[in-house]
Amino acid sequence: MSYQIADEPVETSLRGYVVRPSMPLLATMVAGAWLAWPWFAFNAIAMGSPTRRKEIALCAAAFAGTAVLGAIVLALFDAGILPAGAPVQLAVLGVVAFKLAISYHISAVQSRTFHVYEYYGGPVRAAGRILGAAVLARGFVIGLVDHPLWIIIVAGGIPGGHAGLWGW
Amino acid sequence: MEHRQIRVLLEEAEVQRRLGNHRGATELAQRALTIDPDHAQAHAALAAILLDARRLTGAGIEARTALALDANDPFIHRVAAAVLIAERKLDDAWAHCLIALEGPAPAPEAFVLAARVRALQGETAHARELLHEALAIDAAHVGALTQLARLELAGGERDEAARLIALALEADPVDPGAHLAAGTIDLARGDAVSAEHHARFVLGLDATDRDALVLWAAIQARRSWLLGAWWRWNMWMSQRDDRRQIALMIGAFVAVRIAVIVADALDLDGLSRVLSLSWLGLCAYTWVAPGMFRRMVARSLDRVRLDPDF
Repeated sequence: MSYQIADEPVETSLRGYVVRPSMPLLATMVAGAWLAWPWFAFNAIAMGSPTRRKEIALCAAAFAGTAVLGAIVLALFDAGILPAGAPVQLAVLGVVAFKLAISYHISAVQSRTFHVYEYYGGPVRAAGRILGAAVLARGFVIGLVDHPLWIIIVAGGIPGGHAGLWGW
Repeated sequence: MEHRQIRVLLEEAEVQRRLGNHRGATELAQRALTIDPDHAQAHAALAAILLDARRLTGAGIEARTALALDANDPFIHRVAAAVLIAERKLDDAWAHCLIALEGPAPAPEAFVLAARVRALQGETAHARELLHEALAIDAAHVGALTQLARLELAGGERDEAARLIALALEADPVDPGAHLAAGTIDLARGDAVSAEHHARFVLGLDATDRDALVLWAAIQARRSWLLGAWWRWNMWMSQRDDRRQIALMIGAFVAVRIAVIVADALDLDGLSRVLSLSWLGLCAYTWVAPGMFRRMVARSLDRVRLDPDF
């Protein structure tokens, strides 16, 4: 039994499904958090990342944090403190910034292990088709629940990603 | 017997590290630690190897383990300082440099490392003093001469930088660090041909040397204004830690989106459209440019590898 370096990934049976951490990050922008954060968590497990618990916890925190921030924005809007139009758009932009920041952070944490994983010849799967399918499925997922909080949580970071909100 | 075996393994690991064979060096240090998991110097040696391989997480853990096992070894403090410099924790790195400089006869390497920290902290005068102290111990210390040359270059003294790097190359004509500094100085003086010669020399020693590839890419970046812009932006960003990079990118995104929302609210449709399209163009450029740049650098490297003189 050789000495194990703390940053080395462990072998898993899911190695064939590992993608670059930039792919879930891109999914945050073009498809939505509904895909990106579970994908980050799956990638951490598939890679055998030694920081997978931290990465999964960050994904859970991303969902919880977005839900709390979204609920605050909605409560302020319902109470009439936040007027419709530009003020509410700016408030939602704050939530989007939070989602992007935490996604970048998860990506940065996962990239450290990914470099070591790749260094030792771990297989990496192309994810273009998954991303393409996710972009097509985005509207369907956002329309699954007719509530603004759902849109705030699952929508992506690109302009227009929250288009469904502006009519509300 | 075990101690002798560990010493031999660590010496061989250091040889492999200097040759750029990080994987081989890592395996040797791992073998040493399999024999004795509490060997502080072996943990420090592994940290130095992982640092060279840009595995900062592992290097940090190994350096902290080495310090926990032996907090009095100047070598371990030097390794810890080097890891902290890479993590951009300069105040903590300086604290370790001070410990490494204690004692009756500190190694010149300790002064060179301390000078790196002070230079990064913007204390160039103090950095120069420390480098001159290293040169007082060893007048032909290549690391000290190279760093002094880089400091002179940063201060705009290109001729003095060239003089110092010539001394470094005279002391050790095959030192990769001196060649890379010489290439950087030549590039700053507009001599891309000589810069390429130095980069080629280091790539000949180790075709995967990160700093040599960075110099090579910097030379290629001069050949295309459009891709060169991406390269400069990339280098500027890479000098910042992850958190600052994320803050900068999110900050830029939020600023543009706020401007678009405000423009929409003021019915300035034209401005809103220009901002949105500019942002989209920037996103497309930063998505496409790295791939194009990598292909351009790879093509130029292939030409070098196919050269019979290489």
